[in-house]
Amino acid sequence: MTKLKLFKKKASLDARKAMSGYLFVAPFLIGVLAIYLPILIDSIYFSFSEIAVKEGAGPGALPDLVSKGIEYYKFALDAKSYTDALLSALQTLVFQVPAIIIFALFIAVVLNGKMLGRAVFRAIFFVPVIIATGVMESIEASDYFTQMNAAGMESGEEAAETSGNNLFSAMDLQGLLAYMPVGTDLVDVVVKLVNSVFDIVNFSGVQMLIFLAGLQSISPSIYEACQIEGATAWETFWKITFPMISPMILVNAIYSIIDSFTRSGNAVMNYIGRAENTKGGNPSIETAMYWIYFIVVILILAVVGGICSTFVFYQRRE
Amino acid sequence: MESTPVITKETKKSIHVDYEGKLSFKDRLLQKLKASNTWIKLAINIVRFILMLGVSYVIINPFLSKIAGSFMSKEDVIDSTVLLIPKHFSVDIYKYLFLENHYLNAFINTLTLSLICAVAQTLVACLVGYGLSKFKFKGNKIVMAVVLLTMVIPHNALRVSFMQHFSHFDLFNVIAWDYKGPIALFNGGNTVSLSDTYWPLALMSITGIAFKNGLYIYMMRQFFKGVPDELEESAYVDGSGVIRTFFQIILPLSIPMMITIFLFSFSWQWTDEFYANLFFTDPESTLYLMPDVYGKVPKTLSNAIKNFSGKSIYQSVIRNTAGLMIIAPLIIMYLFCQKFLVQGIERSGLVG
Repeated sequence: MTKLKLFKKKASLDARKAMSGYLFVAPFLIGVLAIYLPILIDSIYFSFSEIAVKEGAGPGALPDLVSKGIEYYKFALDAKSYTDALLSALQTLVFQVPAIIIFALFIAVVLNGKMLGRAVFRAIFFVPVIIATGVMESIEASDYFTQMNAAGMESGEEAAETSGNNLFSAMDLQGLLAYMPVGTDLVDVVVKLVNSVFDIVNFSGVQMLIFLAGLQSISPSIYEACQIEGATAWETFWKITFPMISPMILVNAIYSIIDSFTRSGNAVMNYIGRAENTKGGNPSIETAMYWIYFIVVILILAVVGGICSTFVFYQRRE
Repeated sequence: MESTPVITKETKKSIHVDYEGKLSFKDRLLQKLKASNTWIKLAINIVRFILMLGVSYVIINPFLSKIAGSFMSKEDVIDSTVLLIPKHFSVDIYKYLFLENHYLNAFINTLTLSLICAVAQTLVACLVGYGLSKFKFKGNKIVMAVVLLTMVIPHNALRVSFMQHFSHFDLFNVIAWDYKGPIALFNGGNTVSLSDTYWPLALMSITGIAFKNGLYIYMMRQFFKGVPDELEESAYVDGSGVIRTFFQIILPLSIPMMITIFLFSFSWQWTDEFYANLFFTDPESTLYLMPDVYGKVPKTLSNAIKNFSGKSIYQSVIRNTAGLMIIAPLIIMYLFCQKFLVQGIERSGLVG
């Protein structure tokens, strides 16, 4: 008798705990089911159908949807300008994501150690997290000097040098590297990276924070043991810090990829944004373009996640 | 044979002692300088400091040149001898942006909107993060996967359907195109238009599906995972319920983390442009938001530069100044909160 009672009581406690779990996630569940899912399904539906405004209907009326199959997807993939934008976005991704991760890790390691003016540097380094989004991003993009720099770079002029807003003249660097026996491809890579220093610094704020959090969670006693065993700082970094921080590298790689492709300065986002703003643009085609883009990025995420997670080291706790 | 140390000076914090065989200050300094270690350390420190200084410069430089430009009069803008310090100091740009681009109105509206969103998003991130980290229920992992999914899908892709849904708002109405949901039933078959109100963003915030809310939920979940279970167990043993434990024990613990998330969501909502263009479309509306401040050149200024040769440069300077005015409140807030930002992240234990 008593045994049965005990068992019953325990089950109800578990059930109660599960119920409270549902209670806590309820706002999100309601949001997803009532608002997000319909919006998502509709968006997919839009990309497969033509949105036709009813004849004689008021401006606020719901339009008719005429099914078009995969026509818009075909159209999007046939548009050369779109596939070009897609390729260039991927190129930026391949350039920037490793650079952002390496830079963020480096800065996080430096900021983690004791140094003069650390608090001030930390405050400065996280400013872009707060500011380099939304309005500021589009102001930066429409900035006269930025545009002049870009134009000068493309036509090979050094017009940008007088502006006082640019950090480097890429031409000097290109000239310097051109005499080195390293091949033009490598020169291109280096020049591109140097040109995007500003972007890399500005887009690595959150990653820096995540790395810093990871570094803080490594137990100091491990470093102490290393020191006693006589390991150098170099060895300590590669044998201790790097493996311990590797889960953060995975998280950051995925975050950077998502961030890089949802940013409005991105080539594909720009391309589709321009298409949206031109008159006579078809929202269905644009939605289809977004979905193709999304599928490409999901594939990249899966590949990167797969590759990274084989190298990630998880410390077993307890 | 006298070896007792003699105290020369003693304060609360330090103590100076003389003992036999103690080297003079000069000798100690020399000994330290002779050690090879010191020089290497010093060199590393200097290199590190210069490097940090350089990177800080990259971050700060655009602001400096924008601030400098904002105080220039239009003659200075095209004068190539003026780089940072203006010859004809003027605050015209600030003045006309403030007076003619409805800065004050936009400030108050954006403040209201951002506060609503940030408070709602922070609370919801706490609730959902706590539910996902501490309770085992059926579908826990699926909910987590959906959280991540909402983070990955760009809201631009959902633009058209966002517009449709919130200008014809009705819960559940849309999976089938003609089906009317609960609101329409009470409203005689009509749906409600929510455009040009705060409702779309408020609804999305309170349900945790707005911009980057997936990230906040993930951060909160990782933070709560690091909070030991014993804490709650002892509260339960003492007879506290789940909800009371959450509000009285868990939430006070997570204040630095909450401030971090509040800071993120407030400032990302503050500078947001995408939703402002999406949900506030009526050109007649007097509900100005921050993007309206930089959207157009103030009338007085645009009249003044009609036949001016450096028109496009000056317009760019005006836009930059508008940008400065938009982010100024954020910078002030950041200066107060940045201590918590690092603290919150450090304690989050974002690992794994």
